[in-house]
Amino acid sequence: RMEASCLELALEGERLCKAGDCRAGVSFFEAAVQVGTEDLKTLSAIYSQLGNAYFYLHEYTKALEYHHHDLTLARTIGDLLGEAKASGNLGNTLKVLGNFEEAIVCCQRHLDISRELNDKVGEARALYNLGNVYHSKGKNVASAGTHDPGELPDDVKNALQKAANYYEENLTIVTELGDRAAQGRAFGNLGNTHYLLGNFRSAVLAHEQRLLIAKEFGDRSAERRAYSNLGNAYIFLGEFETASEYYKRTLQLARQLKDRAVEAQACYSLGNTYTLLQDYEKAIDYHLKHLVIAQELNDKIGEGRACWSLGNAYTALGNHDQAMHFAERHLEISREVGDRSGELTARLNLSDLQMVLGLSYSTNNSMMSESHVVDNSVNGTRPRVGRRHSMENMELMKLTPEKVQNWN
Amino acid sequence: SQPLAGRQATELQSKVVPSKQILHSDNMEMEPETMETKSVTDYFSKLHMGSLVYSCTSKRKNK
Repeated sequence: RMEASCLELALEGERLCKAGDCRAGVSFFEAAVQVGTEDLKTLSAIYSQLGNAYFYLHEYTKALEYHHHDLTLARTIGDLLGEAKASGNLGNTLKVLGNFEEAIVCCQRHLDISRELNDKVGEARALYNLGNVYHSKGKNVASAGTHDPGELPDDVKNALQKAANYYEENLTIVTELGDRAAQGRAFGNLGNTHYLLGNFRSAVLAHEQRLLIAKEFGDRSAERRAYSNLGNAYIFLGEFETASEYYKRTLQLARQLKDRAVEAQACYSLGNTYTLLQDYEKAIDYHLKHLVIAQELNDKIGEGRACWSLGNAYTALGNHDQAMHFAERHLEISREVGDRSGELTARLNLSDLQMVLGLSYSTNNSMMSESHVVDNSVNGTRPRVGRRHSMENMELMKLTPEKVQNWN
Repeated sequence: SQPLAGRQATELQSKVVPSKQILHSDNMEMEPETMETKSVTDYFSKLHMGSLVYSCTSKRKNK
């Protein structure tokens, strides 16, 4: 009777998770664990699903705990396929937690067992996971410094090259299997890996494939992702007109999908693209749209960057009053969020503007009177950016002189 | 020669215009992770007799 009860609770947990209500599903699975069962395979399945539910709820420490229980159990009962699956899930979770070395060991185990069992589907999935771990590892190290895509230290380059190789291996298998959805995922992440490596033409080719498959499936989120990634790649190819077209498609879809954060991101990208095209009126238009949404979402970092961009665009147009207004606002926000680098930039902008305006205004030094002490630790405390908060992922990027020359 | 204000305005413009420094949204859009899935029914149906599963689900329906 107790057995049936545990199973019933677990079945209800499964149903709820499948329906998309992971929070409620977790309660039923945890109740099932409380009731308990002597059937270790059933328990393994419950642990695995609890781990996945917590993963989707972004509670990665809990996810880690349950996938670890699942792995231990699968080994105990000698369930090799179960061990492979648990290893893969544990690997993905460790990756998100930033423990790349252990993640690699787990994903490699998933790969080894899949090959041993001659499980092609499992093998392909393990290769995709390994690609993701190496991609994250490379990106993580790269973001510690400030590099443009393509200008990377060797360890970063090695990790990204490995990621590309795993995605390619994955693509070979899923193409044989005729799994279009899996091909789409691999092309998307391969494109992003080429982008970081600075292979912008290859990135474009991969994202074009991704776009094609997204359209086949009518997957508008994936379509939007592809447009955005294509826009990014064309920026670095110096083809700003093309980039702006892709960003406009991104914006259209973001509005259709009612994703305000993504809409803001697209406006911001368009603002920057029109700045590069030296069409400052349009740049201002999009940066203002971005500003409004950033304020609406209470995204202070985004708001600060919007002000910075607007200050630059108004300066370019010679509208120094508006430039001053936004530079002051940028300074305020940088202080508020503790962005030392932004604060310094804002002070420099203000002092530049003050020099020009100082000749037309008499003595307006309201903001600058406080700016005698400028801290030098500009690279000190930039707030860490969270996962999947698109607007917070905007990075201050320096363009190298060579690139600027090439672009103009 | 050029008036001072005008010259400085030009310098200022050239300093910020075609962006020696531009805020670029380096926001890559990654594809989702794939997780491996297990189900209690996979294991249950292999391990136990079908009738037990049947009694279980029919009991649920009767509730």
